[in-house]
Amino acid sequence: MTARPDVPIPAPWAFPEPTEGRLSNGIRVLRHPMPGQHVVSVVATVEVPLAAEPRDLEGVALLLSRVLDEGTTAHPGDAYAEALESVGAAFHASWGLSGLQVMLDVPATRLLPALELFAEALRTPEVRDEDVRRHGALRLAEIEQQRANAASRATMEFRAASWLESDRAHRMNGGDPETVAAVTGDDARAFHRLHVRPGATTLVIAGDLPDGTDHWLESALGTWDDPEPRRPSLTEPPPDPAPATVRLIDRPGSVQADVRLGGQGLDRRDPRWAPFQVAAYAVGGGFLSRLNSVLREDRGWTYGAHLQPVPRRAGGTWAVAGSFRTDVVVDAVVEARRLLHVADRPITDDEVRQAVSHHTGTSPLRYATAEGVADQQAANVLNGTPVDHVTRWLAALRDVTPQSATAAYADAVDLDALTLVVVGDAAALRPGLEKAGWLTA
Amino acid sequence: MTSPGSDPSDDLAYPVHQHTLANGLRVIVSPDHNAPAAALNLWYDVGSRHEEPGRTGFAHLFEHLMFQGSAGVASGEHIALLQAHGAAVNATTWFDRTNYFEALPTGGLDLALWLEADRLESLLDAVTQENLDNQREVVKEEKRQRYDNVPYGDLMERLVALVFPSDHPYGHTTIGSMADLDAATVEDVHAFFRRHYLPSNCVLTIVGDVTVDDAYALVERRFGHLPSGPKPDRALAAPLPPLTGLPRAEVDADVPASSVALAWRLPALGDPELDALDLATTVLGGSQTSRLHRALVRRDEVAEGAGASVMPLVGGNSFGFVTARARDGVSIDTVEQSLLAEVERLADEGPTDDEVTRAHARFERDWLQSLASLDTRADQFSAYATLLGDPTRVNRRVADMATIDGTAIRDACRTHLRAEQRATLVHHALPKASPSPATQEGVQ
Repeated sequence: MTARPDVPIPAPWAFPEPTEGRLSNGIRVLRHPMPGQHVVSVVATVEVPLAAEPRDLEGVALLLSRVLDEGTTAHPGDAYAEALESVGAAFHASWGLSGLQVMLDVPATRLLPALELFAEALRTPEVRDEDVRRHGALRLAEIEQQRANAASRATMEFRAASWLESDRAHRMNGGDPETVAAVTGDDARAFHRLHVRPGATTLVIAGDLPDGTDHWLESALGTWDDPEPRRPSLTEPPPDPAPATVRLIDRPGSVQADVRLGGQGLDRRDPRWAPFQVAAYAVGGGFLSRLNSVLREDRGWTYGAHLQPVPRRAGGTWAVAGSFRTDVVVDAVVEARRLLHVADRPITDDEVRQAVSHHTGTSPLRYATAEGVADQQAANVLNGTPVDHVTRWLAALRDVTPQSATAAYADAVDLDALTLVVVGDAAALRPGLEKAGWLTA
Repeated sequence: MTSPGSDPSDDLAYPVHQHTLANGLRVIVSPDHNAPAAALNLWYDVGSRHEEPGRTGFAHLFEHLMFQGSAGVASGEHIALLQAHGAAVNATTWFDRTNYFEALPTGGLDLALWLEADRLESLLDAVTQENLDNQREVVKEEKRQRYDNVPYGDLMERLVALVFPSDHPYGHTTIGSMADLDAATVEDVHAFFRRHYLPSNCVLTIVGDVTVDDAYALVERRFGHLPSGPKPDRALAAPLPPLTGLPRAEVDADVPASSVALAWRLPALGDPELDALDLATTVLGGSQTSRLHRALVRRDEVAEGAGASVMPLVGGNSFGFVTARARDGVSIDTVEQSLLAEVERLADEGPTDDEVTRAHARFERDWLQSLASLDTRADQFSAYATLLGDPTRVNRRVADMATIDGTAIRDACRTHLRAEQRATLVHHALPKASPSPATQEGVQ
């Protein structure tokens, strides 16, 4: 055996700076030229939060996003997807709490025809009645599949438990069965007319950009007229946190239970964000984190247990997530709660060093592809973070101390206000949860 | 670098440098200086197809033990140390291989090589009954989490059991059975390591911000002193004839919607007919314009989703399947008949020219995306070196696929996707119970 080698400190690295511009109709464009990245990524973000949906039609945004590529005025019906696929383009659209993202990935040599098609989906989608109706029915089937999957059910229930009914995040992004069933083609077309417009749109493009890209962007999207150019884009309303609670969701016959144990957290713009992330990594991020080293590596109770911060544009939650075989679930919850206790076991120098170098070290590779850069830059738009957010965040990480990490964690993690969600065989789990004081008999 | 897309007959031009150490370790280096990072990827030529009867799941259990320490490394330290130097690190096991990989800032490459070499040199020093027992429990939790507790989680296990004889190398899945996991002993671990974990049974790939000479020197320094050991017998199973007798399994399952899968034995990886069948599955099920989606989801509205897949394997046969889940109120028999009709129609008529164009374009984009990041590019080089003996095929894949025309796709379907050669698996959804008072709220 040779001696273990030392690792030099990596040279400082910064997130690539975009060149910013505007199309003639005011659409903001963030360009990231990346030589050698043969697949170009384009993301259009439209800043319209899901809170803009009418309460009785929640799901209309999701259904609209799903029919954008079901036909356009110039390429009706199937002809649209056929044209996109003929140039090797992948198209995807999704509507999150803060807004719509429409994404295109295409080999650089076919960027021009793909951009023209991309613009059609934004500007002139058909949004036919029968497509909205069919996607509504498919969404109802999807909800059943999501509810049947213990992990997605646990995540869904934890989110619902964390926010009051007045907060859109209380309910699923894609709407609940009753409201989805009510959405018609008229509703989807009206939502498109009102909300998908140049004044709310930012374009991000990354990859080995061919000569002429700027001109193509202008001709595809710069000519898109805004009916109300001065109407500002919408931002997500402030969140409404719910008090801590316990939810035991019965899933009879489950051989494991999926657990979420957490509470209210911080968002990316909070000055405590970097120190909180460092602490969260020490407690439940790395392979030998406090949680995983005990719950997995010592006890063998789980394939993995992690503490995950889930920031929103403002506010957020954090949760310990894991699944455990039924007979150890209660012990695992009790042990996880004990391991979350940091006040008498503060974050150490070593833990800070490891967390910081993990985050700083993984960044160059995460952002080495066009897709990675475009996704992050588009996320910045919807998160309300600046174009150099990653670089600022790395600098903030380097300033974290054991004291600041411990303090940020103490601010964010209130062990007296934990929300617990358990999805599993309730009959087997209830007595233990009662005995441990999580449920009242 | 050749620019892709302009002419698919052009090869890509990612550099591929190959070298074999005296002990048989095959090394591939592909410099890329666009980011200050490197990907290290090792493929050991051992997967679930090499498992002994009564020891299913062992290759994967063993993969877990590779992270439990070695002479110079404490339990769990391999991952923790590399993570702390900015690495993404993990391993996976499949029918044909086990791969171990780390991607990290270039300065950490030597440490990653040292860790990989230390466990290849001295893993058995650290294997104890205690860490075997612990990882056995972790793997059983993994099996529960990923298969047993998930709707349709038994799909693959049941499909391979229909398509291959139970004693065939591909007759069981990599996760194995609970009983076999329970039966594994420390002696089994030792024997498995000695038999399969040898420099001569490994391909090591480095992609990233290194020069070829520096990379070779680092690998030589960390692995050069390891003994070669006897090269294991890598005999491949002989190809099986097509299925006969319409094997069929029907299970009642706690799933939200009934589903059906039709499966076939296919030619092994490396056979151009398998590439033609790969394009056929794109025509059938790869996208929104694919035939299954159009017919079952869009036109007839009998399915909530439909797809097609090929599982490329090197040992005599691959296998492939089409699946669909019934919409509420639609009989699964209707869905099954529609699936079969679409497969037969493709074999009868062949794909249209437009469908072939779209399948080629789709393959090109997927392939370029898989090569866009250092770690997946390294994995492709290791794969083609291990399974087909030639990593330079990675640069030729798009051009090779572009030569496969509609006639070749049709003929491959006529030979390999015949109705009488299929196996069928049906999951019947249990009648829906009325929603129970699912939520109980309480206080902490």
